[in-house]
Amino acid sequence: MNGGGLSSSGLHKDTQGNGSRLAVVLVVLSLVMFTMSARESNGGFFTGVRSVYSTITTPVRYVGVVVTAPFQGLGNIFSNLTANQKSLSELKSENAKLKASNVKLKEAEKTSERLEKLLALQSTYKLKSTAARVISGATSSWSDDVTIDKGSTSGLAVGMPVTDSNGAIGQIISCGGTSATVRLLTDENSRVSAMIQSSRAQGILEGSSDGTLKLTLISTDTSVKVGDNVVTSGLGGVFPKGLPIGTVMSVNKSAGALYYDIDVKPLSTTENFEEVLVITSLTEDQQATSEDITSADSQDSSSSSKSSSKSSDSSDSSSSSS
Amino acid sequence: MQVKDTNKNKRSIGWLALACLVLQLAVAPNLALGNGRINFALIFSAVVALTIGGRTGVFCGFLAGLVFDLSTTGPIGLMALLLTISSFQMGMECRNRLAGEIGPSMILYAIHALLVSLFYHLAMLIVGQASSIFDVIVQRTLPTFLLSVIAFIPFAIFYSRGDGTGLSGRQRGGRPKKGSRYNIGNI
Repeated sequence: MNGGGLSSSGLHKDTQGNGSRLAVVLVVLSLVMFTMSARESNGGFFTGVRSVYSTITTPVRYVGVVVTAPFQGLGNIFSNLTANQKSLSELKSENAKLKASNVKLKEAEKTSERLEKLLALQSTYKLKSTAARVISGATSSWSDDVTIDKGSTSGLAVGMPVTDSNGAIGQIISCGGTSATVRLLTDENSRVSAMIQSSRAQGILEGSSDGTLKLTLISTDTSVKVGDNVVTSGLGGVFPKGLPIGTVMSVNKSAGALYYDIDVKPLSTTENFEEVLVITSLTEDQQATSEDITSADSQDSSSSSKSSSKSSDSSDSSSSSS
Repeated sequence: MQVKDTNKNKRSIGWLALACLVLQLAVAPNLALGNGRINFALIFSAVVALTIGGRTGVFCGFLAGLVFDLSTTGPIGLMALLLTISSFQMGMECRNRLAGEIGPSMILYAIHALLVSLFYHLAMLIVGQASSIFDVIVQRTLPTFLLSVIAFIPFAIFYSRGDGTGLSGRQRGGRPKKGSRYNIGNI
């Protein structure tokens, strides 16, 4: 027998050829699967296989969460240790302001509750939802998603929006029997209709690899400031209208650009996700109204008219220069 | 004469596969450096390819890649393709490379880890999952490569140990198999 390296692990060398034929067969098989998988839409064969696999491996993911839970807070401990005096004093003053603000808000909340009872108004968010627990983060380095412990047996389905206590965090992209994968807003493939809360300017919120969110298609005619709240617009009928998403971190306006370049800081970070709510259906109040749709359309048309006027300006100037 | 015990091989591969599967599902998602995560499928396929190689190595590489693909949201078959090729190349020599050649084996593994990670993320870029090559290289490929190399070290040490019969470190059948063109040990 040649070449059989015996080790304590009990692994011996395979002396029956180098497997070149098998390698060719498996490479071809992989390419076929890759092509079919890339062309497959939701609900195909591979989606089903992935769903079954996800269901089977859910208990193992649970174990991982339990084992690594004590280490999850290490990052916060280190950042707290390295916090300087300036940031500590800023936090103290901010805390004092928040306490004062909290007292006012509690009073306002009581008043609001009484008024709501009197006027029989519905509360702002009446979300028909199912609570779920996050059991795993992203398995690959490519996607920004989390796995939750509820699936189709709990009434969940692909496309349902997901929130945590701070606001919207993502959308279900695949759903097994007992677990579901939620694509987070910060994922590069994520697109959500959103708007600036103060000016009601509507745009599209896109994820990026650095964890921030980019708000696009906000016309430069509108007013946007750093610190403005960004909420879901309800357009598209997926997310309920008015759910908080984040705050404007920076606003840039390039010369001649029709739209702002807006960076948005999400309210929630992946590290904070523990329990989430999956919104199973929307009421009429939570969907975008026809006025909102008209407003979005008029925003688009004003941008395009501005674009055409700019292009005519530029053609005028070019013709005059020529 | 050493008699090849295929049942023992199967048992050993089974235990290693189970350990790597649990680590991939339970530990990898919770340990990240930037956007990079440990690829235990790559580690499993490398250990099998370097110690057993041949058809077994190629088949294990393919299966490990397939399991990895199923646990991600990317297209199925991409990691299976890369690990099949990688396992075939690493398992070409007719000897147990981890036993006695841990240094060169680590270098060979690191090269494969870098290439697999790079090609995987470049393929994802090509299928339209990202728009920036900087993101692919710096934020995903390099952290994944680094973590996967670090995580491979304990496996390499464990599988490079001898069996106490004095055979550890010897290169039995050390002459490369006919047709084998790559021998990192001679570099």
